[in-house]
Formats: sequence, structure tokens, C-alpha cells
Amino acid sequence: MLHAFVLSPPSLSLSSWSSPQLDPSQIRLILYQDCERRGRNVLFDSSQKMCSSEAQVKMYGKCCQLRPTGGSSNSLDSSCAAEAREPREQGLRFQGLRCSSDANMLGEMMFGSVAMSYKGSTLKIHQIRSLLITPFPSPGSSLTSSQASSYQRRWLRSQTTSLENGVFPRWSVEESFNMSDESGGPSLGVARKKKIAIGVIFLLSQDEEENIKFQDFFFSHFPLFESHMNKLKSAIEQAMKMSRQSVDASQRALAYSRMVDGLNEFRMTIVNLYTMPRVAEPVWLTMMSGAPEKNQLCGHFMRELALLMEQASKNQFLPALLTAILTNHLAWVPTVMPNGQPPIKIFLEKHSSQSVDRLAKSHPYNPLWAQLGDLYGAIGSPVRLSRTVVVGRRRELVQRLLYVLTYFIRCSELLETHMLDCTEDEAIVIPGSLITTSLQRGEVEESDYVLVTVHKPSGDYLSQGPEPQEDSSYPSHSNNSLQCSTYTEARCGGEPDVQARCGGEPDVQARCGGEADVQARCGGEADVQARCRCGSTDTLEARSCRSCSAEQDKCILISVTIPKGAQQKKGAPLNDCEIPRNESSDSALGDSESEDAGQDIHRQSDSDTYYRDDQEPDEWQEEVEVPFPGSKLVEHFSKPSIANFGRSLFGGYCTTYVPDFVLQGMPNDDKLRQGLVSELAHAVQHPVLDEPIAEAVCIIADTDKWTVQVASSQRRATDNNKLGKEVLVSSLVSSLLQSTQLLYKMNLSPNFCIMHLEDRLQEIYFKSKMLAEYLKGQTRVHVKELGMVLGIESSDLPLLAAVASTHSPYVAQILL
Amino acid sequence: MNALVALCHFCELHGPRTLFCTEPLHPPFPTPSQAGAPIPGDRESDREGEGLTMRANSSATQRGDMCEVSQMTLTNSFCPITILSDHLSFPSLFPSLSLSLTLSLSLTLSLSLIHSLSLSFTPCLSPSLCQGCRSLPASHPGFVSVDSETGIRFLSHQHPRQPQLFSVVRQACVRSLSCEVCPGREGPIFFGDEQHGFVFSHTFFIKDSLARGFQRWYSIVMVAMDRIYLINSWPFLLRHLRLTIQSLQSTALKVFDSEQCVCPQRAVRMNSVFSPAVFPHQRSGNAARSLPSLTQHTNLWASLHSSFSWLLKACGSHLTEKLLEGAPTEDTLVLIERQTEQEEEMSCWEGAEGGGSRPQCHQSESELYRDFLFDEGKVEGYPGPKFRSLRHLRQVLGTTDFRQLAWHVLMGNQVILKGADPGLIHSAFTMLKALLPVGCVRSVTYSAQYEEAYRCNFLGLSPDVIIPTHVSSSEFSVLVDVISVERGSLYSAASSEDILSLYQFNISSTNSQPTDKGPTLLNKIEVALSNENLSVDVVSHCLLCLKEEWMNKVKVLFKFSKVDGRGREDTQKVLALLGATGPGEEDNVRLLKFWMTGLSKTYKSHLMTAVRGGERPLSQ
Repeated sequence: MLHAFVLSPPSLSLSSWSSPQLDPSQIRLILYQDCERRGRNVLFDSSQKMCSSEAQVKMYGKCCQLRPTGGSSNSLDSSCAAEAREPREQGLRFQGLRCSSDANMLGEMMFGSVAMSYKGSTLKIHQIRSLLITPFPSPGSSLTSSQASSYQRRWLRSQTTSLENGVFPRWSVEESFNMSDESGGPSLGVARKKKIAIGVIFLLSQDEEENIKFQDFFFSHFPLFESHMNKLKSAIEQAMKMSRQSVDASQRALAYSRMVDGLNEFRMTIVNLYTMPRVAEPVWLTMMSGAPEKNQLCGHFMRELALLMEQASKNQFLPALLTAILTNHLAWVPTVMPNGQPPIKIFLEKHSSQSVDRLAKSHPYNPLWAQLGDLYGAIGSPVRLSRTVVVGRRRELVQRLLYVLTYFIRCSELLETHMLDCTEDEAIVIPGSLITTSLQRGEVEESDYVLVTVHKPSGDYLSQGPEPQEDSSYPSHSNNSLQCSTYTEARCGGEPDVQARCGGEPDVQARCGGEADVQARCGGEADVQARCRCGSTDTLEARSCRSCSAEQDKCILISVTIPKGAQQKKGAPLNDCEIPRNESSDSALGDSESEDAGQDIHRQSDSDTYYRDDQEPDEWQEEVEVPFPGSKLVEHFSKPSIANFGRSLFGGYCTTYVPDFVLQGMPNDDKLRQGLVSELAHAVQHPVLDEPIAEAVCIIADTDKWTVQVASSQRRATDNNKLGKEVLVSSLVSSLLQSTQLLYKMNLSPNFCIMHLEDRLQEIYFKSKMLAEYLKGQTRVHVKELGMVLGIESSDLPLLAAVASTHSPYVAQILL
Repeated sequence: MNALVALCHFCELHGPRTLFCTEPLHPPFPTPSQAGAPIPGDRESDREGEGLTMRANSSATQRGDMCEVSQMTLTNSFCPITILSDHLSFPSLFPSLSLSLTLSLSLTLSLSLIHSLSLSFTPCLSPSLCQGCRSLPASHPGFVSVDSETGIRFLSHQHPRQPQLFSVVRQACVRSLSCEVCPGREGPIFFGDEQHGFVFSHTFFIKDSLARGFQRWYSIVMVAMDRIYLINSWPFLLRHLRLTIQSLQSTALKVFDSEQCVCPQRAVRMNSVFSPAVFPHQRSGNAARSLPSLTQHTNLWASLHSSFSWLLKACGSHLTEKLLEGAPTEDTLVLIERQTEQEEEMSCWEGAEGGGSRPQCHQSESELYRDFLFDEGKVEGYPGPKFRSLRHLRQVLGTTDFRQLAWHVLMGNQVILKGADPGLIHSAFTMLKALLPVGCVRSVTYSAQYEEAYRCNFLGLSPDVIIPTHVSSSEFSVLVDVISVERGSLYSAASSEDILSLYQFNISSTNSQPTDKGPTLLNKIEVALSNENLSVDVVSHCLLCLKEEWMNKVKVLFKFSKVDGRGREDTQKVLALLGATGPGEEDNVRLLKFWMTGLSKTYKSHLMTAVRGGERPLSQ
């Protein structure tokens, strides 16, 4: 198996993003409704092969009528469910209607056999000996924190994700499926026990290598997939809302086509993200890797830069673009912060940060996350997520610009440790036993589904009225003084958790009330026998299950389960300054309504600790020390090329806009005019960085019109012809470019020119330090004063303020 | 990795159980130097002790209350006392937490107790006999391994000791074995939420000739709060957990095969009378075989501990980051070079003296710079008034004299301060040194004899020293006479800060150049100094910016004139480019040339070797 994950080493040729393949039809959407009364049914399945899409719409429109019970069903009922009253019949009807035969299994995987009462959506991923599933929780907002430097940002991440001090949710989890229209309230009673599950299945290709590539891509780029899932979710929400509001068949057909549109957009986005061309050798990362051809690389970069200085001199185009890049993609700042370490031999090679190295070892954090944040420049305060698009018909010129910009848009490089096979064996050695090291290839090969499901809770409708009262009654709810004091402690985190109070019937009860079901599940016997009837050996069983899932093709599925009829409630931001206590786990302190799976866990833990009394040693003893097996770990490093945002998010000259790309080129801005505004809004609403984003910006450099504009999620361009705000050219940047160019023209070596460039960037950093120092303790500052006293020109101010915000978070508040 | 790993089992009698759990304890701060020393978990063990004493307390006081609560809500199938004691015996409970657990218990009893209740639970069967639900025996304290590289300690017990983590793992266990569905029942699943953590779970069967269906169901779960990290790690985790699982399975298969040879269970079972009512009890004696017994592996738990510890470390380090920082400033480089020289000198000395312990002090760059400016703290040693800042110095000297003095400093002329108060002279040099790059400063802060200009550009002298005429007549030096003004008692408390009440400063130089035009750097410094709105800290940042800006010009000039040996015309061009021309040009050029002498050896030799190493201008 191991070999499968050793990706081809990044070569210097143009093939480092070797055109992966993915067809839109490989992505399948399946939508379920799970209703207490009527059981589970499929609302939508893109794999249902109908004669034609038109026929499907008609059929759909006809069958999906509102049920006569009116308000009791506010959903988009599937054709299958239309006549079926008894849940048990539905499975049969599915078959009759040629619902894919794996629908039952997929539904079971997405919903689980026993529902959890968790109120937010939950994320699941399965990989079956044929299959892999993922459900998504939608993020609300989380701890905002000032991240002053790369180190602090990483340290904080490690701390906020640590388990050692207990479990502290970083997001408050209240977001439900938004089925209510803005005006009308949800029909409460009915809505509460329904869940919607959205599943997306990725059919993998027959080619094993392609599969591994896609899986590596999928898991490493999961935050991006998730963000698109969220977009798909809203499209489905809209469609279902539309269908609910009308009995009119044409409306319903329209709703259906909305859903198809949403799916198609999702498909296109994923396919584009995966297959669009990339910049083969991002300059900064390649230089940083200490390539032996470094002199050559410097030469090439300087030549391209000098060419651009001439080609793109009109309108101060290049200085304007670079100003925008340096102001927004801020990860260059830590790379010029002087370091106190003694120098290493090759001067141009900067120091790799030793403090961060040490941190990563002793307090691990996710390097992929750190890299993504770097690339989007999300290291300032307030956190801003940036991307850059170079537009123009002259392909070569655009590509040259992209190439040069990959020097200035920086991020950390990722290295992958490969453990050697033999040491791997040692690591899992179980003395005295026989070890099988080879994997059962067959099993893996046949396991090519990826199924992703998103679960959202049902029925936690939130009435606007009673909430505050519930809040106030919460502490005193269940008597007992000790309890109250504990409660207060738990509350010190600030904002009360919405989830804890949102009421709603406990889910577990709803789902598990049926005793027969529970017994079958948990007693194990009946269940096990049913499942394993086909034989007692693993292989047989696996096969039987596979045959249940009619899809013999390889694929991946994503799905979301969401409560219906609930009003959308954005997660309340948790208090900034303090890590909130986990109210849910403390919810036992008096809120009997917020049932929670965690509680039945406590309950079950009874029997776990059943035998404690006699086992518990009287005094705590030192553990028996076992030598750490780490010495057996033999490593060698390589750069991952697919699972590496530094390689995957620098787009080349693309045919269309790919919103996830940090940088890309494209022939015209039509796509941007259509969708940039909503794209930016989405980026703020569903941040891919797993932390809140204050603003999303897009730098648009148009080489046909020689303009550089910055579009922001925070403001709309006043002029309809413009996508964003024109960039003010920083004189620091302009002089930096000029002097570098002149040095190059005067035949100074490219290496020296680049050293000079770095020195000049460092000057900008020092100036930002001065600005920050000056602003410390001030409340209001006149730009004029800055000019006269500190020698800061007003054109440099936005740049310097942005740079300063990476090390001194208070700056933004004073200047903006 | 910020995660924990647990082995779980679906017991035929007791439902999902956590068998064995490994958790890392990170040192409070990244202090790899302390690696190996018993750092972190001791904090934990302190708490542990506390927890235990408190537990004794709370169990005494709370038992009554909880009995009540429990009895009210419990249904007949459960014995409240038993449950109660379970909770009370939970390790390391704080009183508050034990309460919360108990309450949650009572409040959730209305929920169906999915597993415990619906199982054919048999109170008559003494649970302590269930080997299948246990890993380490009661008397076993657990395992620990220390990763000496990082100081992380990996601890294994049957359950996590922290109550919150206990329930998190418990939740993961129940979900992985009875809620989540995986076709084939063997394979990886990811699930979870912010409240209970996120879980990567891999379920699998282990052969057991005596079990129902001849196999038992297990899962290995990895729990973390970092959702994205866990998902990113999926391929890695899957790869490695499969190896662990396969090795368990294959070992158990061998045991199974040999047992079947001795006594084929299928035949036994088919011949026995099947009665659903007694079925679970029929095999009760064997129903709870432990994993070590299924694998006939006596050290299984220690091995799993190693395996899980390794997994936690390896998962956290299979992807690493290389993050670059900027090059050190010239000042830092020079300071480091000087320190290294000193150390070498000292080690020579000590070598001659036959050794001795040399204090190994590697200071941070800011410490080095502080020591540099303040002459390693000597200034503080003197009594009497001192200059507090450049601005203070400027106020005392007056703007004209200050300008003249600063000009000489920046041009590299020898600055001689002559006076009776070494403390005051020290402090003046401390302020003036900040005007120059470190590499340009050579100082003799107080001497009883004249020192030549090549040895020092800052020279402090006692009043009686006679300055040679070639110096006093040179335009490349400036002399400041610090004359004591007799006004009653010296150093009276009231006037000690008022330097002018004690001293008079006479500046003299034969320099005929105007000092009021350039250099540009000085003009900018004066603007900053004269603006009282700027704090001392802002001024020093301003000074740093200006110096760095000009050092960057120095570098270019050095490369141009000394390394590449370009002609006059080119040099002039480059000066214009650098913004060194125009008003004050002459001074700017003089400054650049002087500052060139302050470049670090490291930098200079780098540029030289780059040229020798075949670095060629691109056009050639």
C-alpha cells in the first residue's frame, strides 16, 4: 500500500501537475429525507437513469405533489414517497422505480443506524471495502484571535485543538437547514422530526493510480470540497423551499431544475479545481527547495521580471499589481522578518524557522492548514482571505505574470516523511506474533467508493420568542446549589451556547424509541446474523455487502443530513478572550431538554465503570515505562505534489474562473462579473480555513485594459463597469521594482538582484514596525502627520498597515 | 498529534466498550532542550492526587443525594446503587465534574439506554469476570513512553483519566461500534462534532472459535478536535491502522485455526440444543475472552501501547513544514561574529591556563545589541547624571552642536569626549553609537591615554590626557570637552538629572565642511528627534528603518565598487538610483563609504565567493 502513496517526485519539467482526470458524471448527488413517521426516502438521486432529463422533470413534477395532509409535509416529496404510507413499503417502491439499489445502504451509512441527538450537522466519512463517506458540519464562527506571527498562529492552533485540557468546541454548532422563507414562520410541530441528508458520490476511475491521486487530493483538499458542499446545500435548500411553497407542477419542475443546476455547478467546480492547469514551478517554493539549478532559476526569474517591467509598464500596471499582492497575500512578511540565528552558508537561502520546527514537533498542528492560510494571506488582523486573477487574451503575457507572482505569493513548503517498510513493520511489531505486512490488494482495489455525508439534526426548530426566557431559567433549572456554582463556572466562557438551549425533542429518543430496532442493533445478534448470513469468513461477507451496493463502479459520495423546516440560526460566536467551557458536556447541569448523545454515553459508562471499585488501585501509581518506539522510525523526505496547496492552488492560464485558486489566469472577466460578488460572500460565510474570516478579496489584474482592481466582500464597486476598487500604487513598491530592474539592467548578477529585492522587502517590514510602534497607544492618526514625521507617504499607508497587522493586530483598529 | 487512540470492542454481553486508550501529554512549552526530563505530566499527576482526595470526600457527602436522584429515575432493570458506585469510583474526578456526570446520568435515563438496557443483561453474572471488556488488570498502573526528542509522554490506560476525555472516547466507541454503518462492518469511518470531538474509526473482526459467528467485533478510534487535520490524515491513518489490524487478525486467525483443529465448534454447536433464552448464558464462561487470549499474546497491551504511541507521533509528523525567515540584519551578523571571536579568544586563554569552565552563553540578538550599546552594562555602574536618549543629548548640547557631533559620527570621524565623569561619557556614547551600524563602531569608552583613530571612532578620555596635535588639528576628528561647573555640592539630589547645571560642553573641530546640508539620513533623524510627539521607542524604530535603508544602499555600492569593480560612471548611475545624489550628495557618499567598512565579514565573503564561484551577469 505504501508505494501507492509515494507520488512521483516533483520534476523540473512542466509535468508536476500531471493532468488528472475527473468527469462531471463521476459525481453523483443523492438526497434523503428521514421522517419519523414515514421513514426514509430518496428525494433525489442523480444516478437514476431516466429516459431523458425532460421526461424526468415531467415525472417529477407529477409525482411530487403536496400530500393531502397539507402542512404536515412541507418537503419536496420524492416520487417514490408519494403513494407510500408505510415506511416498509418504500424500499420496495424504490426498487420498482429503479431507484439505485444501493440507496438503502447509502442512507444507512449517512444517517447511521442509531441517530445521535447532536443538534448541529455532523461530518462523516466512510471508506468501505468499496466505499468512503463524509458528512459535513457547517461552521458557524469560532474564536477570533490575534495572530501576530507565523509562530503564534501555529502555536495557537496547536493549543485550540489540544485535547489535554478537555474538550472545547471552537464553533458553536447551530445551523440547520433553512427551509423557512424570510417572512413566514416554520410549521413547527411537523418539521421537527425530519432530517435531510445530502450525499455526493464520487465515482472513481478504473485506473488505480488515478484513484489514489484523487483520494490524496480529496483528503488534503477537504476544506475546499466542504465549502463547495455548503454551496450545494444552499442550492438544494432554495429548491426545496420553492417546491414546498407551491403545488404548481411547473414550479416544482423549476425547483427540480434548480437542484440540477446546483449539482452541475458543484460538479463543474470540483472538476475544474481538480483538472485545471497549474503553474508548473512556483518560483518561491522552487527556490526555497534549494534546487541545484538555483542560479539558473534566479536568472530565469529576473529575466521574466525585467521583461514584464517593460511589457507591463503602462498605467503603472506592474507596481500596482505588486502593491495589491503584497498588501493582501501577506505571507511574504514572515519570510523577511530578520532572524537572529547565525547565517548559513548560502546567503540567499534564508533560514528555516527553528522555533516553528520545534513547535511542530512538540505541539503538532496541521501543516496543511498553515500552508493554506499562508497562501490566502490570511495572517493579518482582521483576517482577510485573498486571491488573485490575471485576466487577458495574451496568454503568454498572463502566464509570465503568473510565474513572476508565484515569487511574491508565498507559503511554507510541505515535506512528507516516508517511513520505510521494514521500520514500519517494527513499529507495529507485536512480539511473539506473526506479522503480515503485505496488504490485501484485492480488497483495496475493490474499495473504490468515496461517500461523503453531511448530517444535520432534525427538528430543533427555534422559536424566536421563548429563547431568552429559557436562557434566564437555565441556571436555576435544576435546583441544587453545587450545581449552580458549577454552572456559573461553565458559563464563564461568555455567550451561552445556543445549542444547549435550543430545545427540541431528543433525537435519540425519536430514533431509538422503537425498541425492536434498538434491540436488533444493539443486541447484535439478529443484526449480525442478518448481515453475515452469507458466510462466516470476511471475504464472503465483504462480497455479499458489495453486491448489495449495486454500484460496482468505483466512486466517492458526499452527503449532508439536515433538519427540515427549521429556521436557520447562525452559530453564535464564542467569546474571544476565553476558551469557552463545553456547555454541552455540562448540559447535564440542569438542562434536561438538551438531550445529547454525550449523555447517554455517560449513562452507558455506568457499566463501563461497573467493575471499578475492586479494580481501582488505592493510590495512583507510576505507569510502567515502555521504550518509545520512535527510534525505529527511519524517514526520508519528499515534497508531496498533490497533497500540497503550494502546488495545487497556483492555477495556470485557465479557461474559466476557479474560485479556490490563490492565483490564476484566464482570458476574460465574464465569469467574474457573473459570480464574483456571491463567491466572495460565500468565502466569508464558509471559510475554508476552519476559522472566521473578516473579509474576502479578489485582486483582478486586467492585462487588456492595464487595470488592477481589488474586489471585496465588504464593499460593492460603485461603478458598474468596475469589479472592484482601483489600486493606489505604493511608492515603496514602485521604487523596489525600479531599483531591482536597474541593477539587473546594469548586469548585476540575478542572485544579487534578488537579494536586493529581499532587502527592499525587509525595509517595508521595518517601516511597518515603525508605524506599529507609532500607533501604539494612539487613537487617531492623521495621514499627513505620518508623512511628515515618519516619512510615510499616503500611497504606502495601506500596504504598511496591512503588513503591520501581521505583527501588531491593533494597527487595523487605529488606522481603519 | 493532538489526538488520542483507543481500541474498542463490542462485547456480546455489555455492548461497546473502550478497552485501551493511548494519549499524548505535551510539554507546556516547546522546550526540546528539556527533552527526556520528566516535564509535563507531573502537573497532571498532582491534579490526580488532588482528585483522589476529593473523590473520597465527595463520595461520602454526595452519595445520599445521588441515590435519591437515581432511584427516582431509574427503571427496574437497573440497580441504582451499582451505577452510583461506578460514577464515584471514576478516577480523578473533581467534585464538580463527578456531580455533572451523575446528574447527566439521572437526567438521561429517560432516554432509552440503547445498549445496556436492550442487551440481555444478566445481573447474576458477575461483570468482573468479563475478560472481553478489560485490557489491563486492576492492579496495572498503565504504560508510559517518553519521546525524548520532543518531551511528549504517551500514556496508556484502559480509559483516559480525564473525565471529559473519558466521555469523549466513550462516545467515539459507541458511535463507531453501534451507530455508524459501514458496509461489510469492517472499514474506516470519519464522524464527529465540535462537542464530542472528531473521530477516525476503523472497525474490524477478530476470529474467536467460541464467539457467536466465530468472530468478535473491534474498532480502533482516533479522536481529535482538529477536524481538518484528522481528515487530511485519513490516507496515512488508514495505511497504518490497517497494518496493525491485519497483524492482530492474522495472529488471531492462527489461534482460531489451531483451536478449531482441537475442537471444531461448528459441530459442537449444531449438536447442542438451541434455546434462545439461555443462549447467551450457555457460553457465559467463555463469552468474554480477552484479546490477549484470542491472539495468545501475553504482551499484547504493551505492544499496542507502543504501536499507538508511534502512530500518534508519526501521524503528527508525516507532513512537516519548512518555513523561511528573513536573513539576519547586518547588525546581528556583526554582533554574532564579534561574540564568536571573543569566545575563541577566551578559549585560547583558557587553553593556555589549562582550561576552566567557560560560561557558554548564547545570547539572543536583542541581548547582544543591548550589551553592545550599553557596553555590557558598565554605564549603570557609575553614579551621577546620564544621557537618557538621543533627544536628551540633543537638548543638552543644543541643536547646532548636536548636529555637528552627529555629523562627525556618521562620517566616521573620531569622536573624543574628554571629562571627569566616565558615567556621563559612557552614556553619551551609548546614544551616539545607535546612529551607526554595529560594524562601524569601535569604541574605547574611557581611557587614560589617547588611542589612535584606526582603533576607535569613539574615545572617552580623562581630563588630564593630552591629545596629540596631529589629532587636534585633523579635520577628521571632533573633540567635546566636558567641563565641570562648580556650583556648590556635586550631585545634589535635586540637580542630579540636570546635566547642564553640572557640566558645560565645548565642541571643537578643525573641519571646514558644512555640516548642515547632509547627509540625508541625518536630516531625517533630526526631524524625528525634534518632534516631541514621537516617543523614544518610535524614534529608535525610525532610526532602525533609516539605517537599514542605507545599509541596503551600502550593500549595492559594495557589490558595485569592491566586488565587481565597476567604473566611475556606473557607480554614479547606481548612486542616483539609490537616491544618494542630490542635495547633501557629498555627505551621502562619504557616509556610504564609511558604512561599507561596517559590513559583516559573512556578507562580504559571501559576495566574493559568489563571484568566484562562477556567478556571472546574465548577459554574458
